[in-house]
Amino acid sequence: MMNESCPHPDLLRRFVATPYVFTKGDGLNRICVESNDLEIAWSVRHSYIARTQRSKAGGLYCKLIRDRTAPADGSEVSVVSDGNLRVLHRGSGTILIHDLEKSELLGFICPNVTAQELISSLIPALLDLKS
Amino acid sequence: MQVISIGQTALPHSRELYFAGAACEFETSSSELVRLLERLSTPANASRSGRFSMRVAVDELSSEPAGTPHFRGLHHVVIASFGSANVFVFDILRRRLSATVSGTLARDYRFWKEKLIPIAHGVLGAAMGLVPVHCACLESEGEGLLIAGMSGAGKSTLSVALAEGGFNYVSDDWTYISRHDDCLLAHGTSAPVKLLPDAVKHFQNLQEHSLQISMNGELAYEVDIADVFHAQVERNCEPRWLIFLERMQRRGGEFVPMSSAETRSYLDSCIERLPRQLSEAAAMREQTIESVALLPCWCLQYGGSPQFAANLLWEFVAERRAEVCA
Repeated sequence: MMNESCPHPDLLRRFVATPYVFTKGDGLNRICVESNDLEIAWSVRHSYIARTQRSKAGGLYCKLIRDRTAPADGSEVSVVSDGNLRVLHRGSGTILIHDLEKSELLGFICPNVTAQELISSLIPALLDLKS
Repeated sequence: MQVISIGQTALPHSRELYFAGAACEFETSSSELVRLLERLSTPANASRSGRFSMRVAVDELSSEPAGTPHFRGLHHVVIASFGSANVFVFDILRRRLSATVSGTLARDYRFWKEKLIPIAHGVLGAAMGLVPVHCACLESEGEGLLIAGMSGAGKSTLSVALAEGGFNYVSDDWTYISRHDDCLLAHGTSAPVKLLPDAVKHFQNLQEHSLQISMNGELAYEVDIADVFHAQVERNCEPRWLIFLERMQRRGGEFVPMSSAETRSYLDSCIERLPRQLSEAAAMREQTIESVALLPCWCLQYGGSPQFAANLLWEFVAERRAEVCA
C-alpha cells in the first residue's frame, strides 16, 4: 500500500544540476562558478577574474541558474538588503542573492537577460552596492 | 535602480509574537501591520519550538496589492515575490525573514493569515525543529489524530466532516510537528481549508462561496473552517494516532495496521529535500520523523462519503479509548 511514490517537484528549483564549473585560486581567494549554462559560467568567471585583478576583490562562490521557466516580465531593477543578504530583482524572474558573510553569489537568470547584461550591469550593481 | 535597505530603515514597532509554536521577534515600520499580526499571534507557549526574526519595511506610498507569486531558492536562501513591491527574503540559516511590502499589502489581513504565515512555517520550519508533514490533524479530548494520504484521498473533506461532527480542527493539509522532551506536538497554521470543487456535493453550505485559483493553480474553495462550518479550532495537540487514507470503489471501511517502516516510508516520501547547506536542520528533522513513525498507525481503506468515513473514525477512536480503559 505504500509503494505509490509521492514525488515532490523541485518548485524552488534548488536542485537544478550545474554541470559547468570553473574554479581558480585557492583558500580565501578561490573563485568558483557553477551554472547550468556554459555562457553564463564562462562569462562570470572571466569577468570576476578581471575584477579581482583590478580591485583585489576576495574569493567568491557563484551558483547561477539559467531559469527557462521564470517570467520575463519587466526590466526594472531593485535591491533589498538586510544584514548580510542583498537581493537584486530584475523584473520578477531574475534574482541575484549576495551573502556577504559567506562570500556567495546565488541567482536565477530569466531567458531574456543575456550573459553580457549579467556581468556588465546586474552583478556589479549588487557587488558594488555601498551598505 | 531602487535600493531598499531594511537595516537602515527605521522599524520602530516591535513585538514578540507566536505562530505555530514558534516565537517571532517582529519589527516593522507600520503600526497597522503590528496590530494585524497581533490578531494572528497565538498565546505564548512554554513548549515553543524555536525563534525566528521578521523585519518588514512598509512603503506607505505604494498601493500594489499581492501579485502573482514567484518562488525560488538556493542553498540557505528562499525568495518569494508577489509583484515588484512585495518581496520576502527568507534566510534559513540565520532564521530571519526580511521583507519590503506595499502599504496595501500591509493591510491585507487574508494575505498574512492565509499565505505569508503558512509559507514562513514551510520555509523556516526546518531550522526551528518544525517538521512539515503532509497530513490533516484533528483533536478530541486532548488526543490528536493525524490523517495522511495521497492527493485525492479525501483528507480535507474528511477533516471538515470530523470537525462538523465534534472533533476540533487543527489543520487539513500540512501539519507542523515538533518534539519536546520525547513528546510530539502537532501545530496547525492559519491557512484556510482547501476543498476541491466536487466537495460541494457533500457540504451544501459551500454553494454560498465561490471557487478561487489557489497558489498551486488548482481551482478550489478556500474557506475559514470556523466561519463556514462553525468548527472549533485548536492551535496544537499531542498526536496519538496516524491514519493513512486509501479510497476504494465499494462502500465500506476497514482499518489495517501499518508497521513503523511503512509509516516511515510515507513520511520520507512527503518531506521536502533540503540542500546540504542545511544539514543541521535535516538532522533535527530526522529525529522528529523517527518519533512520528513510531506512532500507532493504521491504513483506513474506505468507500463512501466523508461523513461515512468520519463515523468510522469516531468508532475507531472510541474503541482505542476503551482498550486503554480496559
